Amino acid sequence: MNWVQGKQVEQAGAPNLAAVLTWFVPGAGHLYLGRPLVALVAFAIVQGLYFVGLRLTEGMAFEFLQPDLRGGPYVVALSPEAGNLGALVWHIRQYGFGPGFPREWPPHIHLGTWLTAASGFANACVMLMAHTEARLPKRDASRALRPTLMVFAGWLVPGLGHFLQKRRLRAAVVFVLLVGLVVLGSVLAQGSNLDRERHYYYWGGQFLAGLPAMALEFVHGHARVAGEIPYAEAGLMIGCVGGLLNVLALIDVYGFDENRLLANAPAARGAEPLATDAAS
Amino acid sequence: MNDIGTHLLLFGIVGVAIVVLGAIFSEPEDREAIGSLRKRLVWFFAGCTAVALVMLVIEHTVASVS
Repeated sequence: MNWVQGKQVEQAGAPNLAAVLTWFVPGAGHLYLGRPLVALVAFAIVQGLYFVGLRLTEGMAFEFLQPDLRGGPYVVALSPEAGNLGALVWHIRQYGFGPGFPREWPPHIHLGTWLTAASGFANACVMLMAHTEARLPKRDASRALRPTLMVFAGWLVPGLGHFLQKRRLRAAVVFVLLVGLVVLGSVLAQGSNLDRERHYYYWGGQFLAGLPAMALEFVHGHARVAGEIPYAEAGLMIGCVGGLLNVLALIDVYGFDENRLLANAPAARGAEPLATDAAS
Repeated sequence: MNDIGTHLLLFGIVGVAIVVLGAIFSEPEDREAIGSLRKRLVWFFAGCTAVALVMLVIEHTVASVS
């Protein structure tokens, strides 16, 4: 169905506005789109993750940054927490970078930083959902959940999103390559790469490989480095690339479901035709 | 100095992953993605070789510290 030539149907709202509102306050985009219950659930999940993480870290997550990097709020812009901008800004204003001298870390600080980072990624998914919903007619809004869940699944386990879409070959390739890179990097670096305190920004890249990176970190990470590790930097870089490449896989996962969703939807105002539909 | 052969092998592994993910990202169909792999690999590694050569030349000329 060439939906551009179809019946004109009012879309639910401005997609970019819905996404930006969500970025600042999780759920605000859905509130704007007239979906208060979804807004409430999104807010509770995203901010709940951040709140629990903040409690476990006692607000000390940004003290992982080396002292010379603690110049201002912009140094945390590359943290996964930046996906939940409102909470990140509040975190910085409330706790900052600590008192300026080393303190003992809370016992569960690493789990806590995973939760605050996961909150950022979860809010990015909510932004995606709000943006998709805004492009659909209101009665089809709930259908935006599926592509969002596929992306979240693809983050949890690289390749899982493709697998759930029944694209088994891609799923296997993505899983083997990306998890393989993170494992290879961790072996080369002897686990020294799996530590946010040691490699704050590279950790953010590895975080994008989801649960495999988390499992590796909790099994092999945070070890005391007693001697020279010959391939520590190569391992660090390879593990980080493994996580970053998952972004391409996640965009592919989202694009696949988005195409199917919009191809089956009536025309939405201002939307572009799909290449496959235009050809048919 | 670590073994340059190991470094090249590791770079090759990462390069293949980058190219394959690039193909998956660019081509919606599996067959097209697989079909484009050879060309993509050649371009990627040829480009990387060219950059490495330029860096070597610069390292031994204008940026030489010896």
